[in-house]
Amino acid sequence: MNMSRPSLLLLSLTAVMALGLGGCATTSPEVSSGPVKYGDAKAVETVTNEFGSTDLQTIAESMARSMLQSRPVTQSRERPLVTIAEVKNKTSEYIDTRAITDSIRAQLLKSGAVRFAVDINAMQNQTDELIRQNQTGMYKKSKSKKIGQMEGADFRVEGNITSIVKRSSDIKDVYYKFSLMLVNVESGVIEWADEKEIRKTTTR
Amino acid sequence: MKMPARLLGFLGLLLALGLPAMPVHADSMASKLEQLGEMTYLKVTDLRVARRNGLLNVQAEVTNISSSNERLFYHFKWLDDAGFSVWDEEPWKPVVIYGKQKHLITVVAPTPQASDFRLVLQSPNNTTSSGSSSTTTWPNE
Repeated sequence: MNMSRPSLLLLSLTAVMALGLGGCATTSPEVSSGPVKYGDAKAVETVTNEFGSTDLQTIAESMARSMLQSRPVTQSRERPLVTIAEVKNKTSEYIDTRAITDSIRAQLLKSGAVRFAVDINAMQNQTDELIRQNQTGMYKKSKSKKIGQMEGADFRVEGNITSIVKRSSDIKDVYYKFSLMLVNVESGVIEWADEKEIRKTTTR
Repeated sequence: MKMPARLLGFLGLLLALGLPAMPVHADSMASKLEQLGEMTYLKVTDLRVARRNGLLNVQAEVTNISSSNERLFYHFKWLDDAGFSVWDEEPWKPVVIYGKQKHLITVVAPTPQASDFRLVLQSPNNTTSSGSSSTTTWPNE
């Protein structure tokens, strides 16, 4: 091969540029500049002893599965209408119990065995919408949803989460107990209840 | 090993009728288990399936053959007749199995659509995967 000096220089420059560019533009669909990485959302999380994602997930799963086998769900002729009341946090730490009940509700709804009525927290939105459709005078009468047609829940779900924390010089032990029950709204009879216990121990 | 279609159909009929839990035979038991690495001390020694109230009930007996405590992570995959997944990925669940203990894992399918399952198992201390323990693929963060 016979190349003139300028063209050889140009070629080597292009090669250097290509290498340089190749260094920062990888073939991976990721833009990253540090130690951030995505992990498994379902992994067992034991970063600290406090209430964590694994606790939330396992509690929700075990409660939903247990309720699916309860008599009011399996034996009733049509799918029972349930509403979520409060799950009280009686532990010493902050736990968003609504996150747990939301997960339980999502799993039960997905299973198709239970229907849910609007709970107290979503009631404001529900009444606002009905009032807007019926009382603002902006909607066609035939096309607006009527007031007074809401269905009352057959059952309500309520419960609490408690914890016992013990510490010694080298051990911290946390025990959680999540209890949930299904109450017949009309009769006040508790039709189903279950508990999920979790123990986590940290050794220093 | 593949089961003959007729036998599978018969098993399906038994399940549909809600007959007592059927122990799963050794070769088909292996097809229901997904181990992330071979477990040296923990063995699945029994697996039974029944359909109750329209939901698949599964019970697996995990035996710890060592005399020290072992940790186990597991979760289930739920599949329909066509082999499609019918449920989101389950969270990994941690259990401690004491030395020489036979631990029962009992679960109920989350939806009536589930007609088959896979039990995914991972034991952090006794998996014979290559590499140092710090680079093993535990479902533990």
